[in-house]
Amino acid sequence: MPELPVPTNPLQVADDKYSAVLANDVEGPRVVFRGTISTVNPAVILNPFVDAVHGELAKLGRRRIRVDLRELEFCNSSGFKAFIHWIERIASLPEAQRYTLHFLSNPVRKWQRTSLLALSCYGVNSVSIE
Amino acid sequence: MPEPKPDPRQPIYLMLRMKPPWVFIDEIRRFVESFCACACDVAVNRESQLALAVHELMQNAVPYSHDEEVDLVLEVDPDADRVEVAVTNRCTEAEFQSLKERIARMNREPDALRHYLAEMSTSPATVRGGLGLARVRFECQLELTLSRSGGRVTVHASGALRAPALKVPGGAHA
Repeated sequence: MPELPVPTNPLQVADDKYSAVLANDVEGPRVVFRGTISTVNPAVILNPFVDAVHGELAKLGRRRIRVDLRELEFCNSSGFKAFIHWIERIASLPEAQRYTLHFLSNPVRKWQRTSLLALSCYGVNSVSIE
Repeated sequence: MPEPKPDPRQPIYLMLRMKPPWVFIDEIRRFVESFCACACDVAVNRESQLALAVHELMQNAVPYSHDEEVDLVLEVDPDADRVEVAVTNRCTEAEFQSLKERIARMNREPDALRHYLAEMSTSPATVRGGLGLARVRFECQLELTLSRSGGRVTVHASGALRAPALKVPGGAHA
């Protein structure tokens, strides 16, 4: 008997060295990135994930989502594009439906502060940092 | 009696020659961060910026290395308040000219953040590349130049060892 395809969850992705998942806890939805994003073109995996999360948030009508980078060791510039893509998706929404990305960073990973600083300049009204 | 002058410190060098594959770049970044934490002990947070620069420049170089070695040279000179990362790979004439034009275009914009934001808005989201050099310039606070010798191109990223805290308009800083 042929094997049936394994159902995939677009709200949870993983590659050899990193993963991303949309979680829900008492404070609301939280997207958790873990590991090291340094493959040649991580956008192939991360952009569809961002699109799926974006669609889910639109359904839920949330105004703010936490993006948890505390367990993200590193993200290369190609992976960084997924966050730029996300900001652009938010900007394309009617103003009343827009939400903000509230980034949770890890002070030990010092690159996160500089990268998020730059990202906050790109998404002036859609990015905040903790 | 006047204080005796401290002995001048020698510049600190690290040289690595690597043949791809790509997967070693993560290990090199981690090693460079540890190395710089010792070598740059006078400069707060500089090690993570230099490690980021090494990662981005290596990831730019490896795909264009034509399956030959990629060289990394890192120099830290505390007395001169200077650091430099240099990454060298084989390249064709067309690749050299393309890279030369990209760096010249970047350097025509004196504001590193403005250039970085422009690259964010124009670099296609699904295509690899296009942001790394702008990221190095702004986030790592390093200026980029290019040299060529014997069919090999070197990207030099250099700047102050004791770089000031990164700031953006509005007062936020890293």
